Amino acid sequence: MIEYVMVVVGGALLLIGAVCDLIGALGMNRFPNFFVRLHAATVGVIGGAFYPLIGAALIAFGSEYLGTYRWFVGGCALVSAFLILILAPAGSHALARAAHKSKTAVVTPKVADHLEEDGGVK
Amino acid sequence: MKKELLIAMSMVITVVVMAYIATLGGGLGPLFSDVRPLAKAFLSTTLDPEKPLFTAMSPEAVTAIVWDYRGLDTLFETAVFYLAIIGAIAIYRDVNEKVGLKGSGLGLSKIVRVVTKVLIPINIAIAISIALHGHLTPGGGFQAGAAMAVMPMLLIVVFSRYFLLELKLTKGLALAFRSIGLTGIALTVFLPIIIALVNGVNAYIMQNQMKVNAPVGLPAFIGNSLISGSLILYNVFEFLAVTFGFSVLFLLLSIEEDIVKDQMRGEVSEH
Repeated sequence: MIEYVMVVVGGALLLIGAVCDLIGALGMNRFPNFFVRLHAATVGVIGGAFYPLIGAALIAFGSEYLGTYRWFVGGCALVSAFLILILAPAGSHALARAAHKSKTAVVTPKVADHLEEDGGVK
Repeated sequence: MKKELLIAMSMVITVVVMAYIATLGGGLGPLFSDVRPLAKAFLSTTLDPEKPLFTAMSPEAVTAIVWDYRGLDTLFETAVFYLAIIGAIAIYRDVNEKVGLKGSGLGLSKIVRVVTKVLIPINIAIAISIALHGHLTPGGGFQAGAAMAVMPMLLIVVFSRYFLLELKLTKGLALAFRSIGLTGIALTVFLPIIIALVNGVNAYIMQNQMKVNAPVGLPAFIGNSLISGSLILYNVFEFLAVTFGFSVLFLLLSIEEDIVKDQMRGEVSEH
C-alpha cells in the first residue's frame, strides 16, 4: 500500500516537473530582459529538475520488483536532487550579480531595481 | 504563424519518436542484438582466472583494453596530451604568476563561496573513488583527473587565483605533482621488465598478467580485493598527472591578460 502511494506521489511530482519545464521554456522565450529570463530558467531547473528527481526517487523506492537496486537508484536521484537544489540558486545568483555589476544586462522594462537604489553590488 | 506551428509539431514528433525508441521499442537493444565475435573475445577474457595467458583480471573491459590490451596506444595518447601542456608552459615560461597579488578579499559573493565549500569535499571524494575504482567500474584515471581538475577551476573562479597561490598551489608545485604522476606511469611500464630481470626470465613492456614465454604477472589481488595488477597503478598515476596537468593550465590561463602582455613585452624589449 505504502509503495503504491509512493509511486503515485512520485508520478505527480514528475507531472509537476513537466509543467514547470513548459512554463520555464515559455518564459525563456517571452520574458523581456535578462533577469526575468533568468527567473524563468530557474523555474525550469528547480521545478523541472528538482521535483522530478524527488519523484523518480519515490517511484524507485516504491518499485519492489527492482529488488535491492531500487535503493541505489533512489539514493542517486536524491543526491542529484540535493546538488541541484544548492547549485542552481548559487549559479543563477552569481550570474545575476555579475550581470548587474558589470552593467551588461540592462534592466528594462523596469518596475523596481532595489539593488541600484541601494548603490549597486559591492 | 504557420512556420512556428511546423517547428512545434516537428519538435513534438521528435520527442515522441525518441521516447518510443527508448522505452516501447525495448531500448536500443534490438538494433544491435548480436554481440560481435571480437567483443565476445574481449568480454570472455577480461576477468577469467582460468585463462591466465589472456585475461587482464579486470571486470571493466574498457579499462582492460585501454591500459592492457592496447596499452602502448594509450601511453602515446597521454604523451600527446602532455606535449600540449608543455607547449602552454613554454609560452608562459617567463610570466611571473605572483604579480598583482591582492590578498584574499577577491572572488564571488558569500552565497557562492559557501556552496563551493560544501561542494569541494564531495568533489574530492567522487574523483578519488572514480580513480580507485577505475578497474572495476566505468571511469578511470583520466576521467577522475578531469573530475578533480574541476576543483582548482572552481576555486579560481569563486575565490580568485590568489587564493590558490595562498594555499601554495603554485605552478611549480602542480608541475612537480604532474611529474610524479608521469614518472609513476613510466615506472609501471617498466615494472614487469625489472621484475623479470631480477628473476632471470623474459617479460614484455607494459605487461600486466603472465603471457606465453613471459611468466611475470603483477598481483591481481591484495587480500581479497581485486586490484587488476598494473591497471590500478596506471589509473592512480594518470589521475595525479591529469589533475595537476589541468591545474597548471588553469593557473596559467587565469593570469590577467594585461599582466601577461606586459611581461611578454618586457621580455622582448630586453633583447
